[in-house]
Amino acid sequence: MSQAVFNPFAAAQGQFDRIADLMGLDQSARALLRRPIHEHHFAIPIRMDDRRVRIFDGYRVVHNDARGPAWGGVRFHPQETPDTLRALAMWMTWKTAIVNIPLGGSMGGVVCDPHDLSRWEQEALCRAWVRRLARDLGPERDVVAPDIMTHGRHMIWMLDEFEAVHGGHRPGAITGKPVYAGGSQGRAEAAGYGLVYTLREALKELSLAPDRAVASVQGFGAVGRHAIDLLIRIGGTVRSVACLDRNSHAPATLVRQEGVDLEELRTFADPFGSVDCEKARSAGYEIKDGDAWLAEPVDILIPAALENQITDLNVQAVAPSVKLIVEGANGPTSETAEATLQARGITVIPDLLANAGGVLCSYFEQIQAASNHYWTLAEVMSRLDHQLTSAFFEVGELSRTKGLTLRDAALVLGIDRVVSVSTDRGWV
Amino acid sequence: MTDPDRPVERLLKSLQERAKELNCLYEVEQALSRPDVPLEQAFSKVVEAIPPGWQYPDVCAARIEYAGGSFASADFRNTEWELCADITVQDEAVGRIRVCYLEERPREDSGPFLREEERLVSTIAERLGHSILYHQLHAMRRQWEDAGRKAVNETEAAWREPMRLLRRTDRTLYLRIARKMVNHLGWMGLEGAHDLLQTSTHEIEQEIDDGADSNVPVPVRPRDDSPLLSGSPFELAATNLPDEEILELIQRWIVEENAAFFPKLLNNPHATVSELSEGLRRFHHLMADGAELSEATLDDLRVTLVRRFLTTQLSFLRIAKNVVNPCDFVDLLDQVILEGSSHSRLGGKTAGLFLAEKALRRKAEADPDLGRFKVPKSRYLPAEWIYDFIEHNDLEEVLQQKYRDIGQIRHEYPNIIQLFKNSRFPPAMVSGLSMALDELGDGPIIVRSSSRLEDRLGSAFSGKYKSLFLANQGTKRQRLEALLDAVAEVYASVFGPDPITYRAERGLLDFDEEMGILINEVVGRRVGDYFLPAFAGVAFSYNEFRWSARIEREDGLIRLVPGLGTRAVDRIPDDYPVLAVPKKPHLRVNTTLDEVIRYSPAKIDVINVQKGTFESLDIKEFLLQVGAEYPGFSDVFSVVSEGILSRPVAMLCNPAKDTLVADFGGVFENSRLIQRLSKVLTTLEEAFESPIDIEFAVDGQDLYLLQCRPQSSADDEAPAPIPADLPAEDILFSADRYVSNGVVPDITHVVFIDPEGYRLLESKNQLLMVGRVVGELNKILPKRQFILMGPGRWGSRGDLKLGVRITYADINNTAVLIEMAHKVGSYVPDLSFGTHFFQDLVEAKIRYLPLYPDEVEGGLDRRFFMACPNLLAEMTPEFAALADVIKVIEVPAVTRGRVLRVLMNADLDRAVGVLVDPEAPAFDGLALPSPATGGQAQGYWQWRLRMAERLAAEMDGERFGVVALYLIGSTKNANAGPSSDIDLVIHFQGDDAQRRDLLGWLDGWSLCLGEINYLRTGYTTGGLLDIHLITDEDLEKRTPFAAKIGAVTDPARRLTMGSGGGDAVER
Repeated sequence: MSQAVFNPFAAAQGQFDRIADLMGLDQSARALLRRPIHEHHFAIPIRMDDRRVRIFDGYRVVHNDARGPAWGGVRFHPQETPDTLRALAMWMTWKTAIVNIPLGGSMGGVVCDPHDLSRWEQEALCRAWVRRLARDLGPERDVVAPDIMTHGRHMIWMLDEFEAVHGGHRPGAITGKPVYAGGSQGRAEAAGYGLVYTLREALKELSLAPDRAVASVQGFGAVGRHAIDLLIRIGGTVRSVACLDRNSHAPATLVRQEGVDLEELRTFADPFGSVDCEKARSAGYEIKDGDAWLAEPVDILIPAALENQITDLNVQAVAPSVKLIVEGANGPTSETAEATLQARGITVIPDLLANAGGVLCSYFEQIQAASNHYWTLAEVMSRLDHQLTSAFFEVGELSRTKGLTLRDAALVLGIDRVVSVSTDRGWV
Repeated sequence: MTDPDRPVERLLKSLQERAKELNCLYEVEQALSRPDVPLEQAFSKVVEAIPPGWQYPDVCAARIEYAGGSFASADFRNTEWELCADITVQDEAVGRIRVCYLEERPREDSGPFLREEERLVSTIAERLGHSILYHQLHAMRRQWEDAGRKAVNETEAAWREPMRLLRRTDRTLYLRIARKMVNHLGWMGLEGAHDLLQTSTHEIEQEIDDGADSNVPVPVRPRDDSPLLSGSPFELAATNLPDEEILELIQRWIVEENAAFFPKLLNNPHATVSELSEGLRRFHHLMADGAELSEATLDDLRVTLVRRFLTTQLSFLRIAKNVVNPCDFVDLLDQVILEGSSHSRLGGKTAGLFLAEKALRRKAEADPDLGRFKVPKSRYLPAEWIYDFIEHNDLEEVLQQKYRDIGQIRHEYPNIIQLFKNSRFPPAMVSGLSMALDELGDGPIIVRSSSRLEDRLGSAFSGKYKSLFLANQGTKRQRLEALLDAVAEVYASVFGPDPITYRAERGLLDFDEEMGILINEVVGRRVGDYFLPAFAGVAFSYNEFRWSARIEREDGLIRLVPGLGTRAVDRIPDDYPVLAVPKKPHLRVNTTLDEVIRYSPAKIDVINVQKGTFESLDIKEFLLQVGAEYPGFSDVFSVVSEGILSRPVAMLCNPAKDTLVADFGGVFENSRLIQRLSKVLTTLEEAFESPIDIEFAVDGQDLYLLQCRPQSSADDEAPAPIPADLPAEDILFSADRYVSNGVVPDITHVVFIDPEGYRLLESKNQLLMVGRVVGELNKILPKRQFILMGPGRWGSRGDLKLGVRITYADINNTAVLIEMAHKVGSYVPDLSFGTHFFQDLVEAKIRYLPLYPDEVEGGLDRRFFMACPNLLAEMTPEFAALADVIKVIEVPAVTRGRVLRVLMNADLDRAVGVLVDPEAPAFDGLALPSPATGGQAQGYWQWRLRMAERLAAEMDGERFGVVALYLIGSTKNANAGPSSDIDLVIHFQGDDAQRRDLLGWLDGWSLCLGEINYLRTGYTTGGLLDIHLITDEDLEKRTPFAAKIGAVTDPARRLTMGSGGGDAVER
């Protein structure tokens, strides 16, 4: 076995290098974009509940902010490594550029396990993290959003600390806040609805009417269920949904030939996608094993649960009828499986585009915060639709004209946008 | 009282009379209860209180004659219509009470008087006797005190005159005091005292020493009391002790002598509970008046009382001695359902709670917070009543039930329940229970067993007997009938198959089991048709389930559930209690919103008062019915809004629209209750001198303590003995921190993910694939017979390199989940403690063990795992590429038939995984629990195997077209549980008709075996056979069951057909 161990940052750089080769980027652009533009690594001393001091490692990585203030999550995780954060920050730069919003990409975190911390200790950690970075955060520099094991409450503590340091209200410094605390409408729906906007555009290109389209969805969390919601509303049918069985904890696929009834399914489910399969069975759903969603004879597959779900091992099971795969989760299709799908003529709408609704909604939250004027849900969704439809169109056109996969076309488009601004600014 | 022959008016009148009598007794008690009121004044009040208690108060009068005086009601005169009773003090008549009718009245039971009135006058006389004795003692005490004061001024010592008086009036008492004085002086070492005892202590000791080795009895020394009577002891004392000290000693001894009746009574095995109760009350009066007894006497009293009423367990007695006072028993005995001559103990449950309450109340003087709890109203039915019940109904035959065959016991048990339920209760019991019901009121009650075996075996045995909830609604008659019915059912549970099997397994069949009954009010409130507490739970002073390295074992653990506590007590497969650490309440096991929601209770146990049933309801649906009326609503529930949990404002809450989660947010935010529970645990742990567990409930306002007992655990969760001399080469791994308790026996397979190999994986895809393989192996390997060992944190979502990414469904069949923390430089990574699915692990009893191989000598025998043949490629050929990283080891195959046993001992904070022979006993000689049953797994598989062999022997291959017969699954693997199938794979080559015949024939076997299994275990399975027919084609295609034949791991076992014997041939 070679010593080339896996490293997420190296993987992200590898992806960039491949696209850079494709685009023929010059060395200075590569040198700039292969690495973060700046990083903070710092120690956070926290006085714990037992009055002892513990030191935590804190990070903030800004990959690039040529197109606008950086934007990225902050995660609390015991296994955080700088390389994971660097990779995520880079992907965020591409994502904001692909959907063409004036933001850069960043990522941050604290190495800690919230299971080991009391609420007060977590609050202290949030505030200390913000205090340490206060000069470099803010709506004009770098905007923070929730990520793994951080949520609305953490965001409010962080905002409060930021505002205490700077004085005055600066709600745009933090996104992902609850609506009552300056958040945007539609945060829950954005990713799922956004997915369906891109899907709808793809169907047009496939000349498949939505009311004839049949889909199979993996995942019944926020993304999955909102995608199902909108897909049904535009006339489509969702024949099967894979989810966790609340009783056995095992994955299962619920199938109903005439299509699932979302409202009914909701009554069997918790908000995170676990479904009581016994109840579903008695309501007339057929219960199949967890992998069955992939083999359903449908037009569209929507993997919206975990990464690495469609791999070499199971890609052959994808039914001949499938024309479209829309990635709701991050990285659900392995690279080699994607090649197989492409060879079979199946279109894959990549995660960078299909699940960008969440990023867009955060951007909208910032705009609303800056103007101190808040939109209705309909306004948010209409802007989301517009932005994603445009992005899909641009990516689609590039893909067609240059014979690229949608993923590669999206990356080319995004990287090109970052390179252009960097060039204009004289950075490369 | 319910004689239908009497007209209703008569009945009513009779009831009115009883009420008058009770009222009269109450007035008398009031008049006599104040020690500061002189007797004369009290007696005058008593005679006025008497007439209203009689049937014809207008013509009734009373007189008390005492000490030459008399106290009479205004118009008293002697008539021929008279009731009399002597007033006695220490068995001597000192006075008389008379009650007269001044005019003639119709004839009743005794002249114009009722039988009840006769009894009433005796009771009043008795009460007057106590009161006189009390006043005499009081007066004597005052006299002594006066004497003491006088002595300061006068020449003669104050104690001399009273002692002269005593010698004249009570020789026996005088002698006893004199003897005590001699002993006291002797103890001080005064030679003169030894002379008074005629022999020196030294000589007596010498005699006893000599006698120790001799087999000749020590000679008798005739006793001569004359030196004592002469007054010499006191003269000797006068020359050696100050007068005040002599006075004080004599004073104390006299009081002690007066109180001496009680220890005497207590030690009399024939004394009834009523007598003891009365004696205790008298004693209480004496003590309340400041009587001082020596600590030794008090200790003896405490121990005797506890032994008499609560338990004979030595450890318990030692603890009780430090906590209870004799007078504490006054209230306890008030709660005993007393009738007739019962004198049994009340059982362990009662004892634990009683002791806990007293211990807390004592400490509450220093910390009032400890006193802020209540105990539910209770009544106790002493254990011997069950025998009265059996005798009354001629049911003695059931007493032999325990010696019968278990199949027969199981078969007959439903009949015994019905027999008991259709039996009549002795009238005394009925009236006792009826009174208890009146006192408990008409809220729901619970009828629980409180037996001697439960004392001995603790929680391991609890649950074997029944506890029944009663709604306790309707007319008094209906409520009483339901109560009697429940008592009969709890009695019948003594003869149930489960407790008998359990006792038989532990050699306790001959133990004289006594079943006391405890009747509690259920803590809670009525909401709509339901009755429930806001929440309830169990708290342990030792935490065996730590989810963070910051939690110490001594920090304790609380399991909280909304509603009745039934769901907190047992592990529940389909739901979760909320866990908390009382000393660190802010370290929560679930921190992200999805965890909090996923692991919050989804169901609630309540009593449906309307239907009279106990129900488990869906919390969501329950809240739709009761809404914010739920007691303690905003403490128990949080509302989820935009990813944030907050306390709901009851007024604004709409359960139909809001997402409510029972996460006890309010309870934790305002942590007063948790802090109090933490203090309670610490205090009780100190008092019981051992870790304890308690059950508690909160009705929305007050905390109720429901039960307290030393913390014990199920057999498979007890600390495992770890011998010091285990051969080093047999130890595969060992751990020295964060260890919980238990034994995991007979592991046949190990899935070992090599940390080094995992670290070196090149792609994300490969890393993710490892998790996938684990999921596949989890499906294939025999359930709970394999362990998973992996690097870093299982199931983590962070950097993939630092732990295998899996979900709970990928590991849910493992017996142990092991995380290995290898040093990286000088840094040892934190392990996860399984936090991502911690509660799943707890409820499914999957053990978690962290290893720190670089820090413990012999921490990990990596060579063993790396060198063993790896089954991965054969079991999951598609993942063969990962064979360098994932090792699947069949332990018996590489160790010549041995298995891996994991011994975990939290007391030592040590665990080892050691290779042993499969049949090896546990290291302390006790039977090993099996994963499936906690007991007799061997029995389950052995007879199944015998039956399978028998079936094969009977199989006519030609007739049915059967080529071969194989055994697979739990019977073959010797780990069948009570409800396991017998899995047979049948190689079939016949036609359709033969197939039909074969299946019909097997069906008959299956049903018969199912019935036998039911009789042996109580599990109803219908048929017991699980048949898999395979054809030549299947064999060719290696379909799943066909593939079992000749498989690498876990191959099918071929059974010999048609030989008539049972010789199985392993293929």
